[in-house]
Amino acid sequence: MSQIDFFDARIIEGTVTAITLDNGDVDDISINFSQGASVRALCHGSWGFTSIEGEIELNNALNSAKELAYKMNSYSPKDKIELASIEDPKIENLPTIKINPNDISIAEKVSLLKDIEKNARVNGVKSTSLMYAESQVKLEYTNSEGIDCEYESVRTGFAISAIASENDQYQVGRESRFGIHGYEIFDLHDAYDLAQNAGNTAVDLLSAKQPPGGTLPVILDPELAGVFVHEAVGHASEADLVQEGSSVLKGKIGESVASSIVNVIDDPTLHEYGYYPFDSEGAQAKKNNIIKDGVLNSFLHSRETAHELGGRPGNCRSQGYSTPIVRMSNTYIENGDSNFDEMVEMINDGIYLSGSRGGQVNTGEGIFQFNAEKGYLIENGEITDLLKNVSLSGNTLDILNNVELVGNDLKMHSGRCGKNGQLIPVADGSPHIFVSQALVGGD
Amino acid sequence: MYELGEAALKLATSEGAEEAEVYVQTNYSTSSDVRNNKIESAKEQKVEGIGIRAIINGSVGFASTNISSKVEEAVRRAVSSARVRENDPDWQALPSNSKYPKVRGIMDENIKFMELETSLELTNQMIRSVDELDGVDVTSGSFSRSYGKKLIMNTNGVNVFEEETLVSGFVDTIARASNPSNISTAYDFQISRNLDIDIHNIGKNAAQLALKSQNGESITSQKTDIILHPFAITDLLESSFVPSLNSDNVQKGRSSLKGKIGEKIGSEELSIIDSGLLDNGINTSICDDEGSASKETKIIENGIFNSYLYDSYTAGKESTESTSNSTRSSYNMIPNIAPRNFILKYPQSNVVEETADGIYITSLIGAHTANSISGDFSVEARNAFTIKNGEISKPIKSVMISGNIFELLQKISGAGFDVRLVGGTVTPSIKLTDMKVIGS
Repeated sequence: MSQIDFFDARIIEGTVTAITLDNGDVDDISINFSQGASVRALCHGSWGFTSIEGEIELNNALNSAKELAYKMNSYSPKDKIELASIEDPKIENLPTIKINPNDISIAEKVSLLKDIEKNARVNGVKSTSLMYAESQVKLEYTNSEGIDCEYESVRTGFAISAIASENDQYQVGRESRFGIHGYEIFDLHDAYDLAQNAGNTAVDLLSAKQPPGGTLPVILDPELAGVFVHEAVGHASEADLVQEGSSVLKGKIGESVASSIVNVIDDPTLHEYGYYPFDSEGAQAKKNNIIKDGVLNSFLHSRETAHELGGRPGNCRSQGYSTPIVRMSNTYIENGDSNFDEMVEMINDGIYLSGSRGGQVNTGEGIFQFNAEKGYLIENGEITDLLKNVSLSGNTLDILNNVELVGNDLKMHSGRCGKNGQLIPVADGSPHIFVSQALVGGD
Repeated sequence: MYELGEAALKLATSEGAEEAEVYVQTNYSTSSDVRNNKIESAKEQKVEGIGIRAIINGSVGFASTNISSKVEEAVRRAVSSARVRENDPDWQALPSNSKYPKVRGIMDENIKFMELETSLELTNQMIRSVDELDGVDVTSGSFSRSYGKKLIMNTNGVNVFEEETLVSGFVDTIARASNPSNISTAYDFQISRNLDIDIHNIGKNAAQLALKSQNGESITSQKTDIILHPFAITDLLESSFVPSLNSDNVQKGRSSLKGKIGEKIGSEELSIIDSGLLDNGINTSICDDEGSASKETKIIENGIFNSYLYDSYTAGKESTESTSNSTRSSYNMIPNIAPRNFILKYPQSNVVEETADGIYITSLIGAHTANSISGDFSVEARNAFTIKNGEISKPIKSVMISGNIFELLQKISGAGFDVRLVGGTVTPSIKLTDMKVIGS
C-alpha cells in the first residue's frame, strides 16, 4: 500500500493499584497489569486506527490500520491531510519520584489510609469513603518519520469524602490531591487535615441556606475559577473543536475575548497532574498562552490542526490505547494584582462560590454550567451565611468580559478531564477572580 | 477461554482462596468518526482481558490483566490482597450455578460480521440527511458496531458464556448564524442490539433541532409545567435518583431512600421496573456480571417504593435475594451495583397538546453535578422551547431548572408516546407539574 503517507504507534505498559476504604473498612483492593498499543495510518485524507491489548503484534496492527485508512480513502476521498513538522522531542526536567510506591507494602498503605479516615469522622459525619490510587506507566512512541522516544511516569493520589446527614438531609464534603509524585504525596499534603476539612464541610452544609437565584456579582475561588477556565475557555480553545465549528472562539485569534486583566495559559511542562514531556504524537510539550491580556492568542493543537489552522503542535493526547485528540494539560488563569479582601469589599449583594462539584460546557454555543461545593452570601462588603447547592451558568465570553479583578493567589487542582469518552489526567487553577455579574441558580 | 479460566480458578484455590471467580471478556469493535460533514477515520479496537476475584474469610481481593503471561501473577495478587483485608462476616458466597433464563434479541449476526464498507455506508446515510437542510452542519458524529463475548466461572459451579452485539450512531450539529449569539447546537443518537436503528433520522433530527433552537428568547423565572424529553429525564435520574437505589449506598447510610420501602415516593401512576430480561434491551443478558440469573425487579409500583437493587453480597447482608444487578464496565473493574434495563412506565398521552402553558426541554447540561444522595439538582436546559396552547412555540435562550429528584417524582403528571432507549434507560417524555425555572 504505497499510498500510506504516515503512520505511528504508541506502546503502553502500565500497572495500576487502587485501595478504597468504606466507613473505615477496606472495601476494595485491586491491581491491574496491562499492555497494548494504538496505531494510526494516514492515507491521503483518511485516518485508520487500530488498538490492541495484550501480546503486541505490532506489524499486524499496523497493517490493519493501513488497510482501514486505504479503504476509507477509496470510499470517501477527501483533501490531503498535512501534518505540521516536528523534531525529536527533548526529554528533560522529568519529575523525580522520591518514594517508589512499590517499596511500600499494601498492608502499610492500608494502615495509613485507616488513620487518615479517622480524621474525617468529625461529629455529625455518618459515613466516609477514601480512595488511594497509584499508577506507573511506560509509554513508547515511534513513527514513520523516524521519531522514537519514551518516558515513564508515576502518578499517585487520594480522595476523601465525608457524608453528614440529619432529618433526611444529606451533605457531602470532599477533598482530593493527585500528582505526578510517588508515595511522598502524603508528605506533600496533610491528608489528616484534609480529611478533617471534608468532614467539617459536610457537617457545616447541613445548616447552610439555599442561595438566592438570579444575576449577581460573584467571587470564584481558585478551584472553581480553575474549573471555569478549563471547561469554558480551555475546551473552546481545542483546535479540533474550533475546526469543526464547535467553538465560540472560532475566528477570534487576535480579538479581545476577555477583560484585559485576564491571561490564560496551558502548560504541560509544569510538574502538575497534567504533565507530559511529549504528547501522543511525539511532539515536544510547550507552554501556550491561550489568552494574553484579554486577547485570544493561541489555540491548542495536534499536528493536523496546527498545519491547517496555523499553530504549534504539542497538545494531542490519548487515554490508554485510544485515538489521540487535542487536549489540555495544566490550564490556569495567571496571577493578577488584586487580593481576596478587596474583592469582598466591592460587593454589596453577591455570592462567593467555593470548590467544585464539576461542570459541563457547550463549546459551540459558549454556554456552561457548573456547581460549587459551597457558597457564601456577601452582604455590604462582608461574608455572611453559608450556602449549599450553588450553581453557576452562563455565557463563556460574557463571564470572561465581566472579570473585574484577578487575585494573586494562584492554586492548581488535579482532576481528570473527559472528551470523546477518554479520561486523562489534567490540572487546572486560578487565583480568586471577581466577576461583576453571573447567573446563579437557587431559590 | 475455558482453559484460561479453569487454570486461574485452580491456581487461586491452591494459593489459599476459599472461593474464586474469573471474568473473561473479549470485545471487537469498529467505528467510523465524522467531523465537519465528512467521514474522517475508521477505527478498529480489540479488548481482551481477565478479572479475578479471590475470597478468604469473606474478604475479597481483585486483580486483572490483559497480558497472558501475567495471569498467574494477577491471581496471586488477588489472593494476597484478600489476605490483607479484615475478615468480613457479612460475606455469604459467590453465586452458585443455577437455571438461566432465555433472553431474546441481544445478538445480531449482521452486526457481528459487518464489513467496513457497510459500516461506512451506514455512517454516510446518517450524515447525508443533514445536507438536505440549509444552514446546518454536522460538527461531529460516529457510527460504531461491536461484538463481545464473556465468560464467568467460579468455584461454586457458575460457568456462563454469552455473546452479544451492539450498534450505535450519534450526530452533533450546529446551525450557523451571522450573529454568534444565534448559533445553536443539537445532537441525537440511537443505540440498539440489532440493526434496526433508524439511521437516516439521527442526522435529520439533530439538524432540525439545531435549526429550531436558533434565535432563542429570554424568559422570566417562574413556576410552570415542564416536559422532559427522554434524554433529559434519563440524564437527571441517572445522576440524582439511581445512586439512592443502590443497596450498598443504603446499607452504608448514603441513600435518601433508606427506610422508605412501602412508602409513596412517586406520583400515583408511576412505575419503574429494572429488568435484565427485556427483549432487545441494551443491558439484557442471561445473568448479571457475577453470574446471578437475570430477573425483573419492581422498583416503584404505582408510586409506592418496592425494592432496592442488590448484588449477591449486599443481598446476603440482608438475607434477601440478589436482584442480579452486579455490573462491570470492563474486565478490569471490580463489579458494582447498577441498573440493568431501567424502564419508566406512566399512562401515555399527547403531553404537549395537553399543555396550555409550559416548557419543553430536550437535554440538560450539568446533571452529573447533582447531589447524588439528597437528590438536589440545578441544571441548564438545552434545546428548550416554550409551549403555548398545546404547541411547541419559541426556542428559549437560557433556562435553568433547580429542584430535588424526590419532589420531582411526585410531580410527574404525564408521559408521551415517544418511548426511547437511552442506553439502558427506556422512557417516554415525562411531564412535570409546577416546576421552578430560572430564566435570564
